[in-house]
Amino acid sequence: MSAEKNLHIIANNRLRFTEGPKPYAGDLPAPAEQVGHLHESQKQPSWNELAPLLENEQVKLRVADLLSRYPDPQGALLEVLWIAQEVIGWVPREAIRWAASVCSCSPAHALGVATFYTMYKHAPTGRFLLQFCRNMCCSIRGASDIIRYAENALGIKTNGTTPDGLFTLIQVECLGACGNGPVMLVNDDFATDVESGELTLKKGAALTPDRVDRIIAWCRDRASQMKEEPVRDALGGKLSGHLGHPGAPGASARAQVLDYAPPPPVLGVSAQASADGVTLTWKAAPEITALAVERLEDSSWKQIGTLSPKDKEFKDASGKAGMDYRMTASSGDRAAKPSAAVKATEKAG
Amino acid sequence: MSNYYNMPALPTEKSPKVPITVDDREVMVPGDTNLLEALQTVGIETPHICYHPYLPVSGNCRQCMVEVDNPRGMGLAIACYTPVRPGMKVATPVTSPRVKNARKAVSEFMLVNHPLDCPICDKAGECSLQENYITSGQNESRLSGAAGKQYHGTPENEFKDTKGQVRGGKRLNIGPRVILDEERCVQCDRCVRFMRHVAHDEQLQLVSRGDHTTIATFPGEKLDHPYDLCVTDVCPVGALTGKHFRFEQRVWMLSRTPSISMDDSLGANIWIDHNNGFVWRLMPRCNPEVNRSWLSNDSRLAYLQFRENRLLNTDKGISESASAVSKMLSSSAGKIAAVLGGSCTLEDAFAVKELQNAFPNRVEVFVGSLDTAGTPDGIAKSGDPVANRKGFALLGFEISAEELCKRAGEFETLVTVHADLWGANASLAAALSAIPNRIALSAFENATTQASTVRLGVNHWSEVSGTMVNCNGFLQKLNAAPVSPSENLMPAFRVLGILSGKPVSSASEAFLKLREQVPVFAEFTHESVRSAGVKLNGVSV
Amino acid sequence: MADTVKVCTGNFGKRAQSIHTYRKLGGYSTVSSKLFDLSQFEVIDAVMRSGLRGRGGAGFPTGMKWSFVPRNTGKPVYIVVNADEGEPGTFKDHFLMKEDPHRLIEGLIIAAWALGARSAYIYVRGEFLPCIETLNKAISEAYGEKLLGENIGGTRFSFDIFVHRGAGAYICGEETALINSLEGSKGQPRLKPPFPAVSGAWASPTCVNNVETIMALPWIFENSPEAYAALGTPKAGGTKVFCVSGDVKKPGVYEARLGIPMMEMLESSEFAGGIDGDLKGVIPGGSSTPVLLPEEAAKATLDYEGLAALKTMFGSGAITPFNTTRDVVQILNTLGNFYSHESCGQCTPCREGVGYAKRVLNAIVNGNGRDGDLELLLSLADQYNGTTICPLAPALGMPVTAFITKYRRDFEEYIAKNPQRSSPRLNSNIRPGAFW
Repeated sequence: MSAEKNLHIIANNRLRFTEGPKPYAGDLPAPAEQVGHLHESQKQPSWNELAPLLENEQVKLRVADLLSRYPDPQGALLEVLWIAQEVIGWVPREAIRWAASVCSCSPAHALGVATFYTMYKHAPTGRFLLQFCRNMCCSIRGASDIIRYAENALGIKTNGTTPDGLFTLIQVECLGACGNGPVMLVNDDFATDVESGELTLKKGAALTPDRVDRIIAWCRDRASQMKEEPVRDALGGKLSGHLGHPGAPGASARAQVLDYAPPPPVLGVSAQASADGVTLTWKAAPEITALAVERLEDSSWKQIGTLSPKDKEFKDASGKAGMDYRMTASSGDRAAKPSAAVKATEKAG
Repeated sequence: MSNYYNMPALPTEKSPKVPITVDDREVMVPGDTNLLEALQTVGIETPHICYHPYLPVSGNCRQCMVEVDNPRGMGLAIACYTPVRPGMKVATPVTSPRVKNARKAVSEFMLVNHPLDCPICDKAGECSLQENYITSGQNESRLSGAAGKQYHGTPENEFKDTKGQVRGGKRLNIGPRVILDEERCVQCDRCVRFMRHVAHDEQLQLVSRGDHTTIATFPGEKLDHPYDLCVTDVCPVGALTGKHFRFEQRVWMLSRTPSISMDDSLGANIWIDHNNGFVWRLMPRCNPEVNRSWLSNDSRLAYLQFRENRLLNTDKGISESASAVSKMLSSSAGKIAAVLGGSCTLEDAFAVKELQNAFPNRVEVFVGSLDTAGTPDGIAKSGDPVANRKGFALLGFEISAEELCKRAGEFETLVTVHADLWGANASLAAALSAIPNRIALSAFENATTQASTVRLGVNHWSEVSGTMVNCNGFLQKLNAAPVSPSENLMPAFRVLGILSGKPVSSASEAFLKLREQVPVFAEFTHESVRSAGVKLNGVSV
Repeated sequence: MADTVKVCTGNFGKRAQSIHTYRKLGGYSTVSSKLFDLSQFEVIDAVMRSGLRGRGGAGFPTGMKWSFVPRNTGKPVYIVVNADEGEPGTFKDHFLMKEDPHRLIEGLIIAAWALGARSAYIYVRGEFLPCIETLNKAISEAYGEKLLGENIGGTRFSFDIFVHRGAGAYICGEETALINSLEGSKGQPRLKPPFPAVSGAWASPTCVNNVETIMALPWIFENSPEAYAALGTPKAGGTKVFCVSGDVKKPGVYEARLGIPMMEMLESSEFAGGIDGDLKGVIPGGSSTPVLLPEEAAKATLDYEGLAALKTMFGSGAITPFNTTRDVVQILNTLGNFYSHESCGQCTPCREGVGYAKRVLNAIVNGNGRDGDLELLLSLADQYNGTTICPLAPALGMPVTAFITKYRRDFEEYIAKNPQRSSPRLNSNIRPGAFW
């Protein structure tokens, strides 16, 4: 169909259409898979491959424990993603979807979270993930030289993985060990040296080429001794003995009682004497349930009355100017410290 | 993007007026709203991108900067999240260079990674970014080669999309109805908020962070929701566009007619955008009491069928055909069943009432078209396909069309007005074939016109003026868009007027007659019904 | 002046990670009638009198912060410990948690008593897995000794502590971003008000405190608020844990009273032990604070007001001196990379503007600088001020302004290396994306 048939160009550059809009064709080329182009080339495992890793008793127990800690299941999302990364080694899309279903949020939300935080890996890495800090303090102390040295020592570039799959080298922002700068993380451990077969982070010790060599040698040594890296608890071990968050699924905790602490002492007690006795006024905190008034008699305090929190003043008919008073508040069965003692005075003027 | 967004408090007619000082001028503004809305009521437009009156305030675009007095002097604040406080001092760019610079800075930053492809962008002409740039941008670019996202410096800092381009992905098919152009996105997260807080189905999310942030669905999933086209409305730029309107028309060529979507009894307020006699799109028209800013996909895409299968009157003029039918009706004495379809206006219904008066004791009126009603979705649909059911009830028409199917034998003539009985439920409607004379007034060729003995083509609701009462008792006005496919078509009420021998020439005339007979409309005229509609007093909801 | 009082770091190097050692060193002595006889009001009052100010960087008085937490709202109160230490130069919380986890728990019990909290979350940044392991072990030990859980010490007070592992986002150090992250969302700062004290985590009253702030509490209640106040300056009580990194002989974590001269911290053998090389400048409170020239550093005292007088900030107490062999342009470039990497992407000026500044800085470092780039950077830095939700963009703006004004010659030398510095950048570079 020729274009001329459909539209005529008329004066004033207005297009005249002789045919109206057509229902659009719903088949544009690109599939939705192209959205979220994070590690687009990364092959994603299917759910069937991941299910045995994620749907087992151990993980279920961990997840139940995590869910009991937060009033809203979504609170556990970061931790559940950590667990996924722990058992899989990185977070494939189906694991994100699983985490979302566990935490009762939408998969898109979980995707947003998993991509917002930089420590979730969206592709598998080598057995030893070497994270070199390149931030201010480390770069002042020569981080770029150390990184270049490590790159040469391993024969890879930043973000690369060695052909044997042992090392992946990345640069990261501040690791929070600036006193040891330049510093690195080997998987989850800080390292600036190796001593007696252990990675160490000694005070003031920074990475040097020698130490980088030692650390790399330590990694290679470990690789030759152990077939694979033992699973490290991504959440730093289990917390035993906690009761969870009140109201969370699986939690047995009860909400905090309101009157666990003694009430605050009564403030601003004043006693005014007049012809018909002494009138006490005070300021009391709202949590107080009862008040006691005491009078000093023969150098010992004697209770002369109890009040309810609704009372605004107290009259001691037998009181006289010069007598000492104090008040004690209580809330439930817990009593506050007595207030400061006051002396009844004649009303001025 | 917190979990606990605050919905903006919008001013209403009942808002208390409080004095505030704007640029050394004292004005009275609604006291229970935010500064952005309050300034709008006194005619001061504040440029904004992320603020939307019916979405929770997110406050991330920073475009609506004003200066507000605080204990430490005047300080910058975003107008959309600053509540009005009586006696507060506000400075806009008119008096404050600081505000002017701040808005200019935000405008500049907003465009650092936004392509200047306005000539090929569908949003051009109704793009918030364009408008804001005119009001508060700067006219001189400081962007140089090494400082755009397309910077070809260190490769690890480059942001590459799927195709290896240095910007976002282009023409991403994120759903059956919506296309995403990532490089235009300004990360206002309106679409995310819409899906999360209005549609309650968080299918969209901003992934990654910083200036790498992009809008995405979960990989492999599509943006698919009965309201997903609303994200193209809320998108302030051309990032999310509806496939139905892409490259169809430049928006400045369209004329807009305010009307009502007559496919649902909530009566969503719409704009009919037309040009050269065609409807090119339907857009939601904001009505705080009815559909706010939302419109369902069904209602929005209905226009694609407005010109399909139209029933056009051949050879004779429609008035002659109608007069012939009128003679036929008056020549017999059998009972007449009139069925008012869902999209009939009050004027159509009143014309049926006139028919009743013209043929005393012969006409019985039924409403509905055998469609089944759904449930309200809480956004912009009540689920009842009989849009004007409340209006019919006010005129005393409440017997359903199902009832007619049971009593078909009593009638000699059937008059259907915009009611596709056979199309909706052919098995029930089959009983109606027993009625000897079947007259269909319809805009479309459909199963009912096929099953009728007389077919009269009439105007579609988008082409007529009229009124309707929605399910919440709002009297709302339809305006005719000049998109009638043929000059030989008339609104149904005019045809019915000819049938009953009481012709009317316009909807407003019909309404004047209507209000004499139905007291609830007595205080209104066609012209006095505001575009936002009026709540009818004493109408039970 | 030798100051031997160690409020937070007293147990360093004494293997206090085990509860038995910690108790032997005098730990958990406040989880007794010392605390249980006090009303909530009295605890907050004591903290107010101690003059303790938030140690995370902003320096807000802790007692006052606590007093904003409303009571009896029917919602639980949360205490969140901000251990998302990410400010370059700051590493005190890392070592505080690693060396003395029980002191944090003890401090939390005091804070929870004061605020009526039932649950506390320690938000630890993801990189600190060894710290998290230490903390989890210590918390489990404390549960074993009934210091946590229900009815602590025979009172009706119950309290639980959970560790929440972050996953790598500097911005989660901002308290509302931290709360969002705790709720399982992206760590993006919220609009304020409402402030967290009124409506924070799960819309409940929430008190976010730094690790060091909480760890000062046991000492305050063991001794007295007045004794703590006396350690510091009139406006801020107590000691501060300083993190010294960069070009010093003995980098590390040092505790000293507030108000000691900066040069004493850098030169004294008790502390950092002297500058390595000739001093060129000092970044006094973490990467976002404006840099000090040597002559300014000589005048500086380490407290909130002393550094404010030099138009810089006390920040988190991270002191990073660098010597004359260091390249200030590279230092600023690393900061540009850092802040644009860590921008959460919410506010336009930060999302786009910080990346913009970063690319200009990269261009200068890569020998692609142009005349006028420094003015561009200064004006960009100015444009961040007051236009964002949280102070991340201004946190780059401040060092950019300070570095360029104080070391302008270094920057100009870099630009001078570019032979095409006066011509505009090549148009081919400005060509928009390939999709055109």
